[in-house]
Amino acid sequence: MSGQRKCPDCGSSEIVEDAHYAQNQLVCADCGFILTEGLLTTTFQDEEHLQEVTYSRSTGQNEQLSRCKQRGIKRVQDLCKVLYLPAVFEETALAYFQRAIEHPSFHLVSLEKKEILVGCCVFVTCRQHNWPLTMGTICSLLYADKELFASVYLCVLKELELDVPALSLTDLVKTHLNSFKLFQSSANIPAKFAEDKGKMVARTIQIVELASETWLVTGRHPIPIVTAAAYLAWQSLQPVGRLTCTFPRFCKLAGTDLPPPAHLRLKELNDILLRMASQLAWLRVLNVDKKTVVKHIGDLLQHRHFLLKSSFSSGDSEDQSATAAGNGPESSPRAAGCSARAEGCHPGGKQKCSSVQRPLLPPCLINPRKRLRTAALSPSDQAITGDEAISDSEIEQYLRSQEEMQEFSKAQAWH
Amino acid sequence: MDADSDVALDILITNVVCVFRTRCHLNLRKIALEGANVIYKRDVGKVLMKLRKPRITATIWSSGKVICTGATSEEEAKFGARRLARTLQKLGFQVIFTDFKVVNVLAVCNMPFEIRLPEFTKNNRPHASYEPELHPAVCYRIKPLRATLQIFSTGSITVTGPNVKAVASAVEQIYPFVFESRKQIL
Repeated sequence: MSGQRKCPDCGSSEIVEDAHYAQNQLVCADCGFILTEGLLTTTFQDEEHLQEVTYSRSTGQNEQLSRCKQRGIKRVQDLCKVLYLPAVFEETALAYFQRAIEHPSFHLVSLEKKEILVGCCVFVTCRQHNWPLTMGTICSLLYADKELFASVYLCVLKELELDVPALSLTDLVKTHLNSFKLFQSSANIPAKFAEDKGKMVARTIQIVELASETWLVTGRHPIPIVTAAAYLAWQSLQPVGRLTCTFPRFCKLAGTDLPPPAHLRLKELNDILLRMASQLAWLRVLNVDKKTVVKHIGDLLQHRHFLLKSSFSSGDSEDQSATAAGNGPESSPRAAGCSARAEGCHPGGKQKCSSVQRPLLPPCLINPRKRLRTAALSPSDQAITGDEAISDSEIEQYLRSQEEMQEFSKAQAWH
Repeated sequence: MDADSDVALDILITNVVCVFRTRCHLNLRKIALEGANVIYKRDVGKVLMKLRKPRITATIWSSGKVICTGATSEEEAKFGARRLARTLQKLGFQVIFTDFKVVNVLAVCNMPFEIRLPEFTKNNRPHASYEPELHPAVCYRIKPLRATLQIFSTGSITVTGPNVKAVASAVEQIYPFVFESRKQIL
């Protein structure tokens, strides 16, 4: 707008812009003379610029899109609102949904699958922006079947040719712990159970990293591991009052579910921590067991690199003592003291030390389940070419004799 | 262990699936009545016939299409398929053994080392897909061979491909990638 306008009627220069029923007008403040009027019928372009009514809320969209698409778009928007996702995520998810719904493999499917498609688009968007969202969360929000979700998700990835980065455990820990209700004392939570969020998150992340170094994370659901690590972290920050609190009670206090595999993860984590504790000189005398190892988690985590190297064999015991000695001068003075002790232990009590050591393998290899493996082809079988002659007697065994056929049809008749 | 050195890897073929046509209409009720070791699934319209000597299960449709599964080599698959066709001939149908094709081969291979799956996925992004919430293994697809490999953290690899040669070359191709993501000493 260049220069001040003057009202042609009364000459005042007080012109205001007024929107009368969504129609912009320039009006003189003194006499009410209308200087200019917007068009009564605006185009989509104008409306978008004015931002009076968004396209998605006007009737324009409803007329151009089919009901199924409208419903899907609304569901995507609702889901993004429920999860408090930024606006960028909503746009990306909508774009993916509109691409997917056009695809023949998603256009003519059941309503249940279309609902799941909505969840998949939001899930893919979150993963691509490294927003830690698990499939379990989406399935529970949509009341969807997990297997169906899995198949639709893999189909979406294939059809839309999307690349999804891996779930970052650190972010998942932060998001998951946000939902815990332990960070301030309340009616249910005594003061000694409340914990500082920053410390708990930091220690949980360290325990989860320890788990991923020792093969407890690969191939498994992430949430049970995070829950078990959070429990250990919480206990270790103030062991005095909290050792008596059981895992199920902890989850109830925190207001979160206890997933069934979490007990096994807790057991595995305790096992790893016990092995590490057996390598620390001042803990060996204290006879830690799985209940008391929690008190020393802080120390164990501080020296975890050295302890992992010394408590798990890498195949060669000679190598082991060499690396232990090599690490001595590099790590802190305490650890140097340990390594000297460990070396001293080796020639003296080699039997005992080697029995404690265990190869660093995934748990399923340490306790392998007996599996029936089909035997390899015997030499006579290997000589088969496929074109040998077929004898009649060989075929007779697969045919019923007359008597058998009569018996069978009699039996069928009773059906 | 150098990746270039020759490592003898045992590839164990666990299943070979093949199809053939009999070029004649088959009466499923007659097969169910006169054949031994036969299961008639009336609701889906097929007959399951099991052979003993090459352990094979065949699915027979009335159109004359037969699918055989359970063989442990391509030759054994053909061996079993021909016996099956002969059995149908003996039952009285005018069977002609045509269009024999091996459709799918499933094999298992064990690597002598463990594999760090998140690292492997990061290095092989477009081909490898790893969703720990869905399946504990990485799914790696080799498009030119039309082969799919499932790589577990224990070093066990399950390969499916259109024939035995494709399966063998898939294992050869994957070995260097898997080798570089193997578990290192901490």
